[in-house]
Amino acid sequence: MLVNEIMHRPVTVIQATTLLGDAFQQLQTRGFRHLPVMEQGRLVGVITDRDLRFATSSLSPAPRTAGEPVSLVMSSPVMTVDPLDPIEDAARIMRDRKIGCLPVLDGSDLVGIITGMDLLDALVLLTGVTKPSSRLEVALADRPGELARLTAFLATRHVNIHSILTHPGADGRVRTVLRLDSSQTRPLAETLRADGFDILWPAQKPWQH
Amino acid sequence: MAALIHRPEYAGYDFGPEHPFSPARLEMLLDLFRSLGHEVAPIAAPAATREDILSVHDEAYVAMVEALDQGKPNLEADRFGLGTPDNPIFPGMDLATRWLVGGILHGARMLMTGKERRVLQLGGGLHHAQKDQAAGFCLYNDLAVAIQAFVAHGWRVAYLDIDLHHGDGVQNLFYENDRVLTLSIHESGHYLYPGTGHIQDLGSGSARGLSVNIPLEPFTEAGDYLEAFESVVPRALSWFSPDVLVVQAGADAHFADPLGDLALTTQAFQTLYQRIFALADAHAHGRVLLTLGGGYEAQVVARVWTILYLTFMGLPLPEHLPAVWMDHWRHLLGPGTGRELHDPASAMPDLPGREARTRRNRDVVNRLLDSVRTYWI
Repeated sequence: MLVNEIMHRPVTVIQATTLLGDAFQQLQTRGFRHLPVMEQGRLVGVITDRDLRFATSSLSPAPRTAGEPVSLVMSSPVMTVDPLDPIEDAARIMRDRKIGCLPVLDGSDLVGIITGMDLLDALVLLTGVTKPSSRLEVALADRPGELARLTAFLATRHVNIHSILTHPGADGRVRTVLRLDSSQTRPLAETLRADGFDILWPAQKPWQH
Repeated sequence: MAALIHRPEYAGYDFGPEHPFSPARLEMLLDLFRSLGHEVAPIAAPAATREDILSVHDEAYVAMVEALDQGKPNLEADRFGLGTPDNPIFPGMDLATRWLVGGILHGARMLMTGKERRVLQLGGGLHHAQKDQAAGFCLYNDLAVAIQAFVAHGWRVAYLDIDLHHGDGVQNLFYENDRVLTLSIHESGHYLYPGTGHIQDLGSGSARGLSVNIPLEPFTEAGDYLEAFESVVPRALSWFSPDVLVVQAGADAHFADPLGDLALTTQAFQTLYQRIFALADAHAHGRVLLTLGGGYEAQVVARVWTILYLTFMGLPLPEHLPAVWMDHWRHLLGPGTGRELHDPASAMPDLPGREARTRRNRDVVNRLLDSVRTYWI
């Protein structure tokens, strides 16, 4: 998934000369938390509702007033991404820098913006819980062909896979979570167990029947 | 005052011999009622019309079902949830489903005219069917068609879903309708199909607070289940004060069901049914319309739904199942099935993690009650 698939556009921006009071109104009325700041058509900074509230707070060492320009308070220079960057790279930058948004630049043109909320939307989409489905969780050996063996099994039963997520488990195996378009996951899991797969969910029932 | 609805055509709702939603369950059940010495003369209702189906479903979806029914191959089928392992395409599926919808609709009309106060439709309960999609063994949403008919009649409707799975289709179809309260108690969608039915899904607009979900931990047992039911359902019904109660009475929350992970016993189902009829008497003018639903272990559904039927009719429960009936249905019941109607007292051992599950289930119920409190006033 690429940045240009989840970014917001067009982008609402303000000018470096905009007054803090006007920027505050924009953030409040539009429900935004981040605004890119422009100067002569170029991106020069970002201002957040948090920057603005701190800058004008009586707790700030040198409080600003509503009549002063945004340029005195904005973060600058700005971290940006390219529309063709994968979203996981954008997520890593935001996490490492502990920032809440990334303006998206194509050359020097501001073409979009992504925020932490967009990444959460992407996570929900990636995990497949937006469609009727059930969960199958498998611990696979970390070697070629294991995932293929699992998906081939599902293919022979015509079970559609809405999503697959894998992550390294503490035991060196690959934790694999699938959302399947099937309400018959428990019987599928029994067959997979008989085939030698280590199924973490559905777990075996803790009773006999 | 209690009417049973069924007709042989219900057996036509059949996804094939490998599929869990087997119509043989119904035939086996009717045979059991009769073998127990009860005169069973179910009402044979007419099929629902296309217009009845269109009261809740999109025309494009119904047209797709009809086309596939006639054997016309269509690459778009899977976009409508058709031709999957859960919902295989079979000839005659349109009419087969309309027989089921017609049954519950006939029951709804008997309630609306005052002819009956309790109606049990022996079949159906297709709660996963969506406005524009088949899902989870369900083609047309029979429950929603009946609820829609009640709403058109001017009634306020409470829907109670005790199937193992979340009643997502019914909830979605009435998510913004402030004449319909939907209550679903089910195994959590964190793992189980369809993955929905969280406590945060409360309805929208003027219907906020009218979608109520009680998701329970996998391996939840009768004590927790009934406690959660009692904490939420009587309060909701007392507040909403419906004209009628519609119940999807799936039996797959039983511990021996092959598709699920809840651990109800036959004794728990008996308590649940008694409470449902008492609540209908107290809060819904005694009017209750029930369907069956999920339930995929033959020996379980035979016993659980017999308890439902006898409780519904106000008849005493036998201790044993008739030997003749058992011999006749042994191929479905399995060799190990005993003759007792109820599960043995020792059916459930002390399960590991029980205390933690109880705590989590109580937390869920408390969170739910906290969030609906502002709406239920």
